[in-house]
Amino acid sequence: MLFRPDADDFRLIGLYTGTVLYGVGVAMLVPLVVALALGERNEALAFVIGASLTVSVGALARMTLRTRATLTGAQGLATVALIWTVVPVFAAVPLLLSGHYLHYLDAYFEGMSGFATIGLTLANDLDHMARSVNVWRHLLHVLGGQGIVVVVLTIFSSAGGAIGTLYTGEGEKDRILPNVVSSAAFIMRVLAAYAAIGLPLLWLATIRAGLDPAPALFHAFTLFVTAFDTAGFAPMSASAGFYRSALVEGVLILVMVAGAFSFAIHYQLWQGRHRELTRSLETRTFAISLLAIMTLMSVGLVRAGTFGDGGDLFRHGFFQALSAHTTTGLSTVPGALFVTDWGVLAPAMIATAMALGGMAGSTAGGIKAIRVGLLVRGILADIRRALSPEHAVLVDTYHAGGRQILRQGQVKAAMTIFILFLVLYLGGGVLGLFYGYDLRLALFESTAAAATGGLSVGIVRPDLEWPLKAFYILQMLIGRLEFIAVFALAGYVVATLRGRV
Amino acid sequence: MSRRRPVRRWRVLAGAAMALAALAAIIALAETLRHPLPSGGPVVAERPEDPAADPRTEVVCPEPAPREDAGRDGPALTAEPEPVTVTSTELYDCPASWDGRLIAYEGEAIGGVLTRGDGAWVQVNDDVYAEAAGPLPAHRDYRGGNSGIGVFVPPTLAEEIDAVGGPQQRGDRIAVEGRFHRVDSTSGEVAIIRAERGAVVAGGEPFVDERLPDRERVAALLAALALGLVAAERWQAWRRRRLR
Repeated sequence: MLFRPDADDFRLIGLYTGTVLYGVGVAMLVPLVVALALGERNEALAFVIGASLTVSVGALARMTLRTRATLTGAQGLATVALIWTVVPVFAAVPLLLSGHYLHYLDAYFEGMSGFATIGLTLANDLDHMARSVNVWRHLLHVLGGQGIVVVVLTIFSSAGGAIGTLYTGEGEKDRILPNVVSSAAFIMRVLAAYAAIGLPLLWLATIRAGLDPAPALFHAFTLFVTAFDTAGFAPMSASAGFYRSALVEGVLILVMVAGAFSFAIHYQLWQGRHRELTRSLETRTFAISLLAIMTLMSVGLVRAGTFGDGGDLFRHGFFQALSAHTTTGLSTVPGALFVTDWGVLAPAMIATAMALGGMAGSTAGGIKAIRVGLLVRGILADIRRALSPEHAVLVDTYHAGGRQILRQGQVKAAMTIFILFLVLYLGGGVLGLFYGYDLRLALFESTAAAATGGLSVGIVRPDLEWPLKAFYILQMLIGRLEFIAVFALAGYVVATLRGRV
Repeated sequence: MSRRRPVRRWRVLAGAAMALAALAAIIALAETLRHPLPSGGPVVAERPEDPAADPRTEVVCPEPAPREDAGRDGPALTAEPEPVTVTSTELYDCPASWDGRLIAYEGEAIGGVLTRGDGAWVQVNDDVYAEAAGPLPAHRDYRGGNSGIGVFVPPTLAEEIDAVGGPQQRGDRIAVEGRFHRVDSTSGEVAIIRAERGAVVAGGEPFVDERLPDRERVAALLAALALGLVAAERWQAWRRRRLR
């Protein structure tokens, strides 16, 4: 039986959503400062308007919705889904005011793509976009990727215990440390540490590629953010191909891999437990699937006759495969070539890599390596059980931070999410077919949206049919939050309309 | 156990209506203030009309380039023809057909001149923003994303390029003649033009950043409102802490 939500349900969900908006409004001051420093006057005004609206709504919520109640699990999940729906509403304001988006829906799509670390873009004339607007697009990756929910609430709220429910709703499954606030602090330390190494490396690499130091700094910042948050926006329409540099690509590969690792593994490495890298089921699954995808992609590219040289094939093939598998979405090859010059097998492998995704508890999306690993282990365990004597008791284990017993419930949960993702990928594909797109293209683009992959073969463009834009937005939201949070929010809506008192 | 206080349905609906009204107001405000103001700037087209940008468009590729080993896969090798003027979309649509062919290409130099060895890499866009309408946001002719191609230009042309397109300026327009390579054997780059000659045909220019008085007024008003609300919220929170 459904019960109609309590007054405290609405107060709490509104209060926490408002608090996060408050934080997002404050974050808009960063591009505002950039705009002022670079003399981008109209963009500066756009950020003043965006920040003022966002902060005002956040402050109003904090003043009017105060309550002593604490968040429950269901409320936390619904709050996260609402936050992910509402933040792009405000993030879109300065984007629309930049003059690079056809309609508000396009700016909202861009806001969602940024916040959910997808990387698909509907920007018109990106190559002439103001630096401050580009900084805002990339800052959205950081806010969404590094868990704005946790960070903002840690700073603004005293409800330390209640934050845990938001944290799990956000897809960050592993509590790295017992205390969620400590976990959030650790995540920020990891970001800072990789930034301290990755940013200077990318800056030097882009200078060596031929850029002047000042623009190179901007490029290094945006590239680092997009690679570490496995996101996909790029400062230039040619993406990573703009730099024509194997060195830049090499550094990006390192940062993308670091971004796709779960923060739990980062914690193990931080503690000096380097063997976790080779023993963890998740890293092993990721490495094996990457190898399989790269092998099949190479076969496809050889059959298509795209590359005459093995070195060139490896350079571009590996970058695309890794970018797709980590769900980053950077590319050294124009997307149109996936269709016209890469044959059939290679693009199919890119789509498969995006669909599988990176590691749980990271910024990567998709089904996730741990689930794939658990499913394979579950199947192997079933086969072993079938071949064993009837009364034999078999205990299957796997390694994840330590030795774990493989339970049927875990395999079932992994299968459920696996099937839900497949349905989500197919849903966008079917809608694409309805609008007359080729099956391969429709499935590729749908997977890119739902798995946060971000690579595109050209369907996502400003004159895309609006129902497809809307559906891709929904896919991004559901895929990023991995279903449950969105289901919880939908459950609240249904309970409000049909629940009993 | 705390007592449940279910909310009346009409109150929820009223709240949802208010939220939708606020959303509509935000959208209306942003649409009104977008740059440039609707009354300003030439409206060339509300919707993109370039059929080549639509992936559903059927593409007919030209014959592949003449090959040395004629008689096997391609047509016989003939005398080198005049360069064919192409667009980046045509090259991406049929990379195998254009591979190794002598072509002519023109567009706006974008982003930077990346000097490398005996030349420089330049991204050259041939989209609508590189042509008459010019870059956004100076007009409302929205025609989608950029399209362009990487060109390896000779050092003489690289030195000639003075302005590259970016956030604050329109880049030089350059015309090149050279060969398209599906994969460049020297650099390993994909789908590029190795220019043999070229010239700057039109100089770039900085954008004119028009003042937008309406936007200034709204920004001042909203900033004052936000500061007031933040002050009130902080004061309320301080009072609550004191009372505790």
